Amino acid sequence: MKRNGIFATIIATALFASCNQSSDKESGEDKLVIGATMLSMQNEFIVNVSDAMEAKAKEMGVELITVDAERSALKQVEQVESFISQGVDAIIMNPCEVEASSPAIKLAMDAKIPIINVNSETSAKPTAFVGSDDTESARIAMKYIAEKLGGKGNVLMMHGFMGQAAQIKRDNGAKEILKANRGLKLLAEQSGEWDRAKGMSLTENWIQSYGDKINAIFAQNDEMGMGAVKALEAAGLKNKVLVVSVDAIPDALQAVKKGTLDATVFQNAKEQGGKAIETAVKAAKKEAFEQEVLIPFRLVTKGNVEEFLK
Amino acid sequence: MNRFSKLGQYGIFLAFALICLVLAFSTPKFFTLSNLLIIGNQVSINALLAFGVTFVIITGGIDLSLGSMVAVAGVVAATFAHPDTYPLIVPLLVGLGAGSAIGAFNGLVTTKSKVPPFIVTLGTMTIGRGLALIFSKGRPISNLSDEFNFIGGGNIAGIPFPIIILILAFAVCSVVLNKTVLGRYIYAVGGNEPAALASGIRVSRVKMWVYTICGLLSGLGGILLTSRITTGQPNAGAGFELDAIAAAIIGGTSTSGGTGTMTGTLIGALLIGVISNSLDLLNVTSYYQQVVMGVIIIGAVVLDGIGKKD
Amino acid sequence: MSDYILRIKEVSKSFSGIKALDNIHFDLKKGEVHALMGENGAGKSTFMKILIGLVAPDSGEILLEGESLIGSNVNETLKKGISMIHQEILIIPELTVAQNIFLGRERAVSGKRGMLSGWLNDKEINQRGAVLLDKMGVNIAPNAKMKHLSVAQMQMVEIAKAISNNAKVIIMDEPTSAISDKEVATLFKIIHDLKAQGVSIIYISHKMDEIFRISDTITVLRDGKYVGTKSATELDQNALIAMMVGREIDRMFPETTQPVGQEVLSVQNLGRAGKFSNISFNVKAGEIVGLAGLMGAGRTEIARAIFGLDQWDEGEIMIKKIPLRARTPREAIDRGIGYVSEDRKGLGFIPQMSVKDNITLSSINYHRKGGFIDTHSEQSVTDKMIADLKIKTAGAGQQVTYLSGGNQQKVVIGRVLLASPELIILDEPTRGVDVGAKFEIYKLIRGLADQGMAIIMISSELPEILGLSDRILVLSKGKQTAMLSKAEATQELIMRYAVEG
Repeated sequence: MKRNGIFATIIATALFASCNQSSDKESGEDKLVIGATMLSMQNEFIVNVSDAMEAKAKEMGVELITVDAERSALKQVEQVESFISQGVDAIIMNPCEVEASSPAIKLAMDAKIPIINVNSETSAKPTAFVGSDDTESARIAMKYIAEKLGGKGNVLMMHGFMGQAAQIKRDNGAKEILKANRGLKLLAEQSGEWDRAKGMSLTENWIQSYGDKINAIFAQNDEMGMGAVKALEAAGLKNKVLVVSVDAIPDALQAVKKGTLDATVFQNAKEQGGKAIETAVKAAKKEAFEQEVLIPFRLVTKGNVEEFLK
Repeated sequence: MNRFSKLGQYGIFLAFALICLVLAFSTPKFFTLSNLLIIGNQVSINALLAFGVTFVIITGGIDLSLGSMVAVAGVVAATFAHPDTYPLIVPLLVGLGAGSAIGAFNGLVTTKSKVPPFIVTLGTMTIGRGLALIFSKGRPISNLSDEFNFIGGGNIAGIPFPIIILILAFAVCSVVLNKTVLGRYIYAVGGNEPAALASGIRVSRVKMWVYTICGLLSGLGGILLTSRITTGQPNAGAGFELDAIAAAIIGGTSTSGGTGTMTGTLIGALLIGVISNSLDLLNVTSYYQQVVMGVIIIGAVVLDGIGKKD
Repeated sequence: MSDYILRIKEVSKSFSGIKALDNIHFDLKKGEVHALMGENGAGKSTFMKILIGLVAPDSGEILLEGESLIGSNVNETLKKGISMIHQEILIIPELTVAQNIFLGRERAVSGKRGMLSGWLNDKEINQRGAVLLDKMGVNIAPNAKMKHLSVAQMQMVEIAKAISNNAKVIIMDEPTSAISDKEVATLFKIIHDLKAQGVSIIYISHKMDEIFRISDTITVLRDGKYVGTKSATELDQNALIAMMVGREIDRMFPETTQPVGQEVLSVQNLGRAGKFSNISFNVKAGEIVGLAGLMGAGRTEIARAIFGLDQWDEGEIMIKKIPLRARTPREAIDRGIGYVSEDRKGLGFIPQMSVKDNITLSSINYHRKGGFIDTHSEQSVTDKMIADLKIKTAGAGQQVTYLSGGNQQKVVIGRVLLASPELIILDEPTRGVDVGAKFEIYKLIRGLADQGMAIIMISSELPEILGLSDRILVLSKGKQTAMLSKAEATQELIMRYAVEG
């Protein structure tokens, strides 16, 4: 009985909340409503994109409802369904998975609501895509390594979660450059699951295995890269090993400034978030818009890091 | 405690020794002092959580909120650990306090409401994660003082500080479990709760204690993790509960309550750490690592079971 | 010769060097009920395990209708016609009666062949089940869910299963331990019918009167050895007990000459809604007050209320003139009350813990040095208690699970005593305890009273109540119907008051 009571309360609250939203919409009829579902609000980069979207929405005078898919594609599809039933004017999706999030695109298309993918892709083609090409980020990072090592040396690569779009693309980009530089040898590659502590442990273990042989580590994101830096510092090897990673999170920028992280690749969260809102608004108002907005990456090194530090 | 569980303990010890022996022959890098220290370092956080959850499991309970308590304690401690703000004791007390508070909350709800601890701690697992995100506003908290970073990164006479904490925690937990009245009551409550009550044991008080101790140790784990990666991360510790529970169970703690030892749990944690370290050393592909880890865990427990039967 | 269906000769079995069975003989005639008697630990269960093929004997011969059973596993002995009705009934609660009866033989009764035999045929199963139950004369619907049945009905289903397996020998292990008298009558009728059909029964029970009612022949084991086989008509209860314990028991109940002392417990108009009402009595130091009554009369409930395991609604409890309302057992223990529960496994001891840890569990608080347990003083009180109560254990470190029922009971009593109580409530203190140990427990209880403890003893065994109590409080349906003195109390009188109202 007690438990039923709790469930009833939860359901009632949920119903009330959804009623609330729809009535909001009716009262402010001329205001555009955009629904956004984000991969994970526990990821700093995504939070930055989301913040940029929020700021842009405010600036443009549209209402933005942001929900967290918590890395679950299923949840994401359900969230898009609920946006559709709420009758939003446009949807922005930051896809969890290439395939599994695709049904959401079809649902929105069928409901004739424009849907914009931000930051990463789905196999189904959305109304528009705003983001950057992950393959390119890895190319930039690996090119920097090749250049610094003079095209010769031993490289280790730290993957993200295996099978995720970003991991696959960054892997492809890095391998392209490795292939073009015969002098670079990939000693080992393992997953650090995008996580700093895991990246640190992995690097410690690598140091045990390869020790002095390591010339460079490419980490597919900054979190793991920072972990690698920590482990190398502890082993007294940092000045001998080049570490490059991707994303340019504030921590990484600080590290680049200090010289502990050699380089990171800046993915422009602000630009991605802003352009996503702009595109969504244009699409909702049936104005002309670009179907693919690619925000370029930039390599961040000690030389230009000041530009990126706010 | 008795002939049978002692034999069981030997079983898991044998399994552990066997695996170490195989690894020592597989790679010369495994059985070196520096690698063993690294394993000890990497194992320390999981072992702390596993000690905590061993207390809980012996009383017949379970705690799924370990990982979230790690995150909350880490984030809260980091907030007070910036250089030149508070003395070191403040972040330590705040971190330990945060963990203990959540643990005490688990204990309170479990004893007062009669809701099974699986459900209660599943709830606090989510609540804790949310709190960590709220405290940190979804972003890592970095720029921590050197003293704070010493806890997870420093060493005394060549021994990493986390290993020293691990040994101390192990000693204290073993003593509490084996030499104190509380320890005796913990076994009694898990062995037969109604009989423990009828024997005059204040069962609720014992449960409050174990969940609080578990929270305290998770808090310590959170401080250690934050210090190790020099940032307080709201998404840290996700999934840690599974490794910790696995360590306790591999070490012979029965999920039905009433049996278990700290030595067993320590070996369980070491086993998990050794496997993950050596799979990196042997450069086993990420995909296979997970399979191998699962197979070895099941194998160790099976071997343990054979030891118990004779 | 041929009238023996089962012949067992010189069967021995050792476990890690200890002889569990030593040269056992057992001959079973066609269509007889043969009781297997012995105290706990006499080797009955090992013997049964060997018979059904769960354990292989080290030596000896087992012949079922002249064919050796040595080397047969459980399934094979079942197919050859030996079925066992276990004490803990093994059923699947979510399946129906008929599905349970034919469990594992669905293919055989599906009426289909080849691949199709994998299809379940519940209609056929139900029909066959109905015929079977009808023949036994029991009224259970074959399509009823097992979980809705009473324990006795489940037993009938187990027996039906054995019959459907064409059992020639059915082993019944304590079949009446959890069923009512009326159900016992039904069971015995079925046993008679089975006999008439030529089925042989091996009957294991602790209950003497049953043994004499139902069995034709009695075989006694003691300490893993064969003591003898006698026709039931040759024996009486005392002779049988003598065979089982190896000595004559002339006086079960010790007498006392000690005078009673001050009042320890006083209960005034105690009531708990739906359980009992208006209960008033007192117990003095050195006195044993027996609580008699039928099941559900409220005896255990009163004990639980005094001990703080349950709350009560009205009245007053006083310990040495000072009121007590214990909300937890701890408070009752602190006021000098000890409780030995009828539910020994549930409320008595912690199975995984050692004799020592169990014995000191209620009083370990008093054996502390600094923050730690004073193992030295703990060990010495334990050793003393083991000696005082004559607990038979391999040592203080032995796990309680491995002790016999009587010794487990002594461990529980020891635990209660170490908390130095002034009032002890013993709820069915000899339940599941074998005859020899019963006698020791009686002596122990009287000894405690003689040392000045006030004792309340709840028991369903009237001889026990009559033999030990100084006064007897009789309850019926939650009400107090009589307080009898030792002199006036008889079995008939107690029963009359126990069914009154």
